[in-house]
Amino acid sequence: MVRRAIQRAAACLLLGGLVSVGFTQPVLAACSADTDPARALTRMLDAHHQVSYRGTLIYERASGRQFFTVEWPADGASGELTPMNAGVDPMPERWSPPTVADYQLCALLDVYVPTLDPGRVVSGRATQRLTLRPRDTLRHAYVAEIDERTGMALSMATVAPDGKVLDRFEFAAIEFLERGINDGAGSDGRSAHHTQAAPSLGVSPVPGYFVVAKDDPRSLFVVSDGLATASIFIEPLPPNVPAGEGAVLDGATLTYSRGIIPNGKPILISVLGEIPITTARLLADAVSTGREIP
Amino acid sequence: MTARDNELEALSALMDGEATELELHRVLNTVSSDEALRSRWQRQQWVSQALSGRAPGLDSVDVSGRVREALTQPRPAARNPFWSVAVAASVTFAIVLGGQQLMVPADGDARPAVVSALGGGVVPVFGAQPVQASLETQSINVPARQAFREPTPRSDFSPFYDQLARDRYLQLGPVHAAASAGNHPAPFVPMVRSTEVVEPQAKR
Repeated sequence: MVRRAIQRAAACLLLGGLVSVGFTQPVLAACSADTDPARALTRMLDAHHQVSYRGTLIYERASGRQFFTVEWPADGASGELTPMNAGVDPMPERWSPPTVADYQLCALLDVYVPTLDPGRVVSGRATQRLTLRPRDTLRHAYVAEIDERTGMALSMATVAPDGKVLDRFEFAAIEFLERGINDGAGSDGRSAHHTQAAPSLGVSPVPGYFVVAKDDPRSLFVVSDGLATASIFIEPLPPNVPAGEGAVLDGATLTYSRGIIPNGKPILISVLGEIPITTARLLADAVSTGREIP
Repeated sequence: MTARDNELEALSALMDGEATELELHRVLNTVSSDEALRSRWQRQQWVSQALSGRAPGLDSVDVSGRVREALTQPRPAARNPFWSVAVAASVTFAIVLGGQQLMVPADGDARPAVVSALGGGVVPVFGAQPVQASLETQSINVPARQAFREPTPRSDFSPFYDQLARDRYLQLGPVHAAASAGNHPAPFVPMVRSTEVVEPQAKR
């Protein structure tokens, strides 16, 4: 009798789980940028295909404050980032522009609630404050102040579910260059560049997160919800190390490591991402339970 | 100080979460071939768990032996995959549905208090003392990477794994930054975040 009751309860829980997963799958074809916050979000996502600029950036987290110079584009295809307080004659580093996919707006609207308010003046430019509040506890919130003219994020803070600011950046100074500036985004806020080289939508091991890269030589797969990204790595666990888990947080970046011993073969799963610990654990579960990640 | 003393000291530092990367690798290399050191590690972990109020877990006694034993035993009904799936589904259900109820305010578009109170401050999430570092004042130095533990039912967190996570962060942070750049509306931010990760490696 007791066993049957447990089975019935488990069946209900399983059904509930499936139903909830069904609810959280994005309805990708049903969204459109038909509100001011959604249009602002689209402009922010697409901004780097519309503008050229150089500026000075301040980045803050608990460990301190750093200064960088940023230039986009630096050589036509990539941007340049130079840390200004790391050493004498710092070497610039290169970064690639974001790939804006068709599904990205829909995926974001499915897991975040965007709101738009008047923003403060940042680097002498008028802004609008775009707030992305998560619909669940599997991701952080973001508060961006976007340039009224170009839509580019001039500052952004990552906010944990408990309301604490994990990190933030802000342009102390920025100069938009004439070359490449294009204020004429379409009425839906999208440009002609939004589909170039965009990754396809992969499977979703955790609600709202999709596989955007896999089979990298060093990582098992990379997931993103359109803003937050997590990389999952699998390596051999040193012999005779007991199973367990641990984590460190630096700014918004969480590193979660879990050692498991399935079938007598010790492995170490490491999840790096700007995600809450709950999400990191679920991603590690997706690996350790052998769930298929095609 | 003998080599043995060094090994024991490195092991103690590891258990306290204060081991350097060099000590971490030394212990891992030694423990695989040194039965006495391995036993000492297990005993220390048992004591550590007992002192922290956690019952000694399966892994703290003899992991390899217990795993072998588990593999040779018939699987009990509770380990049926159906139950695992059911439990996982219920956890997902609770997180997603509970989160949706908690995170979305009743009036839909209202801004949360935290957002309106942002101003210009950054506070560390984990650590002993709150720090307010704003754009208008000098930032306060706190340890760059702070290990943390959450009071969760699954309290398998250990100083060793915190150390291991810190090591993986240093090693894999730049790889993650490169993977993240294409998914962030401010694509320089992942690289900015990993800048401090690269510095300690360059110093070695």
